[in-house]
Amino acid sequence: MIEFKNVTKRYGSKTAVEDASFNVKEGEFFVLIGPSGSGKTTTLKMINRLIPLTEGYIYFKDKPVSDYEVYEMRWDIGYVLQQIALFPHMTIAENIAQVPQMKKWKEADIDKRTAELMTMVGLDPDTYKNRKPAELSGGQQQRVGVIRALAADPPVILMDEPFSALDPITRESLQDDLIKLQREIKKTIVFVTHDIKEAMKLGDRICLFNEGQIEQIGSPDEFLSTPKNDFVKEFIGYQQKERVTVGEFVSENSQGVNNEDYPLVEEETKIEDAFKVFAEHETVAVKTKDGNKLLNRQDVFKHLSAKRGDSA
Amino acid sequence: MNTFLETLNSRKGELLSTLIEHIQISFIALLIAAVIGIPLGVILTKTKRTAEVVINVAAVLQTIPSLALLGLMIPLFGIGVVPAIIALVIYALLPILRNTYTGIAEVDASLVEAARGIGMKPMRRLMKVEMPIAMPVIMAGVRTAMVLIIGTATLAALIGAGGLGDLILLGIDRNNTHLILIGAIPAALLAILFDVILRVIQNLSYKKAVTLVGTIFIVILLVALAPLLTNRGDSLTIAGKLGAEPSIITNMYKILIEEETDYNVNVEDGLGKTSFLFNALESDDIDGYLEFTGTVLGELVNIPPESNEAEAVYNQANTALDEQYDMTMLEPMAFNNTYTLAVKRDFAEEHGLETIGDLRQIEDIVKPGFTMEFNDRTEDGYPAIQEAYNLNFNDVVTMEPQLRYQAIESGDINLMDAYATDAELREYDMVILEDTEAVFPPYQGAPMFKQEFLDEHPEIVEPLNKLSGMITDEEMQDMNYRVSVEDESPYDVAEEYLEENNLLE
Repeated sequence: MIEFKNVTKRYGSKTAVEDASFNVKEGEFFVLIGPSGSGKTTTLKMINRLIPLTEGYIYFKDKPVSDYEVYEMRWDIGYVLQQIALFPHMTIAENIAQVPQMKKWKEADIDKRTAELMTMVGLDPDTYKNRKPAELSGGQQQRVGVIRALAADPPVILMDEPFSALDPITRESLQDDLIKLQREIKKTIVFVTHDIKEAMKLGDRICLFNEGQIEQIGSPDEFLSTPKNDFVKEFIGYQQKERVTVGEFVSENSQGVNNEDYPLVEEETKIEDAFKVFAEHETVAVKTKDGNKLLNRQDVFKHLSAKRGDSA
Repeated sequence: MNTFLETLNSRKGELLSTLIEHIQISFIALLIAAVIGIPLGVILTKTKRTAEVVINVAAVLQTIPSLALLGLMIPLFGIGVVPAIIALVIYALLPILRNTYTGIAEVDASLVEAARGIGMKPMRRLMKVEMPIAMPVIMAGVRTAMVLIIGTATLAALIGAGGLGDLILLGIDRNNTHLILIGAIPAALLAILFDVILRVIQNLSYKKAVTLVGTIFIVILLVALAPLLTNRGDSLTIAGKLGAEPSIITNMYKILIEEETDYNVNVEDGLGKTSFLFNALESDDIDGYLEFTGTVLGELVNIPPESNEAEAVYNQANTALDEQYDMTMLEPMAFNNTYTLAVKRDFAEEHGLETIGDLRQIEDIVKPGFTMEFNDRTEDGYPAIQEAYNLNFNDVVTMEPQLRYQAIESGDINLMDAYATDAELREYDMVILEDTEAVFPPYQGAPMFKQEFLDEHPEIVEPLNKLSGMITDEEMQDMNYRVSVEDESPYDVAEEYLEENNLLE
């Protein structure tokens, strides 16, 4: 759907992106990640030509982006900004209607589409459509930001750190909603973030930038199992996958058990909630789809200390 | 307070018509300034360097004193509403231009990026995003411009554009505070009214705002055109300087011409200075005006009088006018509105003053207050007096004509220049010092036209010449007193004189 071929962007003598090549497949959730100034946002904005490229080619649907009429191409590439940037003088419905209007949809179709999208992200159309953006919370505003990008049903959506301005709880709930949404709508999404947890949670594939260069492209599992070099290791190890539920503390190697000598804990139980069981019992049985597995205090503490980078 | 209400009552017709004129001038000027300033401000946001140059030029234009700007308009655009509106537009441009530029330039960059990112073309981005967000700043500029326009438009009366300035200038000329207030208070109220309308417009959608402004524009245009449509026959415009005397005389011209011909006559009295009127006559903005023989020699053709005989001066002025400008003065009236030097009667008695020469003995205690014009006229003003009488006063104060009477009453000055027919000479009990050296040439009033115009309209000559040799100094003084002190209408005073002297059939 989107292909980069040896793309370079220079500002004067400074190189922002160097020789980037990758291919984003249709329906894929592709995450661009890296420290600040690594070139990830520049890469994103070269796709919809907000930033012109210096060398190389970017293809959108097998045609170089430079061959498209730039405004009309942008109607087919949704865009979500970090600053949310809803138009403050327009109502929610008017904000969402902008691209369909430019595409000359019928008024009735626009109304129907707006209501449908608002319902999809949990905003009651009758309550919210005539409100101004300032009357909504930050999380609600960015939900509108996302459906503004989706309004005319574009095949591709670009998201530039869309959740970074939100508080952690709101951010997490929007991430969950986005995963759900993506399952329904199957868009090609290019998503910029600097948060590896977010990248791991959302991405089908991750593309890690460092100082304008691509260090590694791969699935979250590949990043964990085969990090290419020390930079990658450090970048992901720094924020290694956190074990949250009891189920994540047991593995295939854990000892199975069939009797009822041990207190039984569901695998979705949060580890914090299991602590009070461990206070009373040395070992518990965890109910998993492969049968009940044993988990003792030592294993738990070993994992928890490893996560903090100490030796076990 | 009572006299204020009386004045208001006697002037309410005038108040209404000048108010309407004021609204027309102000609204049209504001509309044009907005139509030029807003798009220009938008275009300038695209080129930062040009923007600075253009905004600085607008700022320089803003520093030109308003009276000077109005004066500059006459040779270019004549007199009346058109040059007034052009001058007002020039004034109003800066705030509108600067606020539009700032408003658009300061729209949040992320909103501009969002608009570009979702594929808005530049025009849609401007109309849907940048303009609405910048609108409060732009409208603040429009409102500033509006206050400037309504204030400055009061000066437009000086170049014959009418408006509330007519009342204010008349009030200043007559030293009538009530009249000044009757002009000034509605001007202030008008500014508040416009402000309310602009706030309403600001909160309307584009479509409604355009409809509203369009409707107001059409109504104003119709009101402006209505008198033109109902006019029967051709119309002439005869003008006069600011003051009671030119108003009375030009109204006599109007009555006489309308009585005996089919022409309608517009009286444009109260126009600024000699140069305003002369330029207006040259550029055919007016057809004729009341001029004085001495002024023609001293200011227009610039030759010294060969004699101080009234008739000789008239002949000399008329010949020179014909040679230099192809203009003609018809036969003059009797009164001689010449310059004189005047003092309070008790001051004259105390120092035994009868002639200008007598001033030499008391040179040290004389405190003169002259009009700027008199102080400056070499042929027949203060310089000529100095030379002829070998006089030299220490500190000459120059001031507005009407202020001299107050100054002499309060003792700030004790000698002033005056016109021989000034009503105030009687009002303030003053005496005229005799001009034994005949420095002041005769100033006899007569209507002045382009010769070409008289050839095309020969029928107006006879009615106007009926005034030849009529109206004595005393009669003129009396009529001036009735208009400027007793506040009678110049038209009524003019008509009464004509009737009493059997000049009307």
